[in-house]
Amino acid sequence: MRLAHLWDQSKCIGCGACVAACNAANYESTDAPNPTWGGLRTNILRITFDLEAKPYLLLVQCQHCENAPCVSVCPTGASYVDGDGLVKIKPELCIGCKYCMTACPYGMRWLEPETGLPRKCMSEECLDRLKAGLQPVCVTVCPASARAFGDLDDPGSEVSKRLRGGRVIRLLANKGTRPKYFVVVGR
Amino acid sequence: MMFQEIWDPWLIGPFLWFAGIAGMGSVAYSLLRLFKIEEKLKELSLVIFASVVLGLVFVIADLSRPANMPAAILSSLAQGIFIAKLTESWMTLGITLLFLLLILSFLLTLRHAAVPALAKLTDAKWYLVLLALIGFLVTVYSGFLISSAPGIPFWNTALIPVLWVLSASICAIAVLKILVHSEHVSRFLTRAGLGLDIGELLALVALLNVPLYAGPEAARASAAALLVGPLAPAFWLGVVLVGVLAPMALGFLLMRKEDRKLGVAAASLYLVGALLLRVLVIQAGIFEPLHL
Repeated sequence: MRLAHLWDQSKCIGCGACVAACNAANYESTDAPNPTWGGLRTNILRITFDLEAKPYLLLVQCQHCENAPCVSVCPTGASYVDGDGLVKIKPELCIGCKYCMTACPYGMRWLEPETGLPRKCMSEECLDRLKAGLQPVCVTVCPASARAFGDLDDPGSEVSKRLRGGRVIRLLANKGTRPKYFVVVGR
Repeated sequence: MMFQEIWDPWLIGPFLWFAGIAGMGSVAYSLLRLFKIEEKLKELSLVIFASVVLGLVFVIADLSRPANMPAAILSSLAQGIFIAKLTESWMTLGITLLFLLLILSFLLTLRHAAVPALAKLTDAKWYLVLLALIGFLVTVYSGFLISSAPGIPFWNTALIPVLWVLSASICAIAVLKILVHSEHVSRFLTRAGLGLDIGELLALVALLNVPLYAGPEAARASAAALLVGPLAPAFWLGVVLVGVLAPMALGFLLMRKEDRKLGVAAASLYLVGALLLRVLVIQAGIFEPLHL
């Protein structure tokens, strides 16, 4: 099983519902600041490019890399790739060295000041939703169906179907991390 | 431009500096002992032990979950993960090497300060070889630790471990230069320090020049920040002038005639420069910008 996220830039209306829902579900709608990224405590980073000709935004989150640097550098095994292909964290093994944060080429981990834990997609609430057979909250709330989540090994999964139908890129693919966060940029 | 703020430069920088002093200091101790140069070995052993301890203090101070560290490491060990990680994570290897150097240098200090009977153990050839090996590996590890963090392109260069070994060797020579009074040894230290200083200058030029021409966007920005950007005053003044050129000039003077005061001044400048080099390299780290 290789669970993966897909974000369709060509469908995204930039409403921020996924960001707000992640904050609500995983961080109890707190308005406490995210000291690493700034802004809300959420696992999705919204990057806006102010290009004169064509402004666009990029929604980024943990890429759940198959060759995850955060996992290989972790000294105690706190960061690991689970059997479902998702990169997860065991808090009890984390010493807070932040090596995973400097190792992530995407900068997709942020530090929670209260616990000293690096946080990232997916957090507890979304993992619980998966166990219950539901989709991650960001996928569920998207009004434009710009998001999908599923198993790459299942040709019938929503992610697999949409990967076949769109022009897809992976961020910083040259880093050799084999990310499983797919960005649809057109058809 | 946003510098990385994950690792505090003033905590991780001094950690790397102390690790280098302890590491190459251990190599120096072993060489002195093996070549039967007995002067100031007690003081050197104290410097090595204190450097390991201070290095650990600084690196632990940067942890965001220090209280969880003992339980996490023990649990990782009990589950066999820590052992498996030795082949994968430089930090796992570093924790192990620093722990070993802590024990080895503690016994060394004890032998000199309180328990002379330990000399049978610590003066043995195998112990000295082990001390030198672990010391060298600690220095090498402190370089690979940051060069193997793929998030920061400026750090991802094979030059950093080499530069760290050169710079730490200069630090060990500087410590000896401050401690030792023998003119014969001082002269050798001056020559060795000068040679390594020239090597360090070359490595430093390469570290900054290559990313400027062929590096990823973020590495180029890091090099530019050090050369002409916000970190440039500290880099040119602290690292290049104070840490490399001034002690090099003093070294050439000392080649003509040894002078204790000048030697101590050159050594002190070397040490300050080496600390600033590490702080600034950590500070200059920038993540690769994301775009489509």
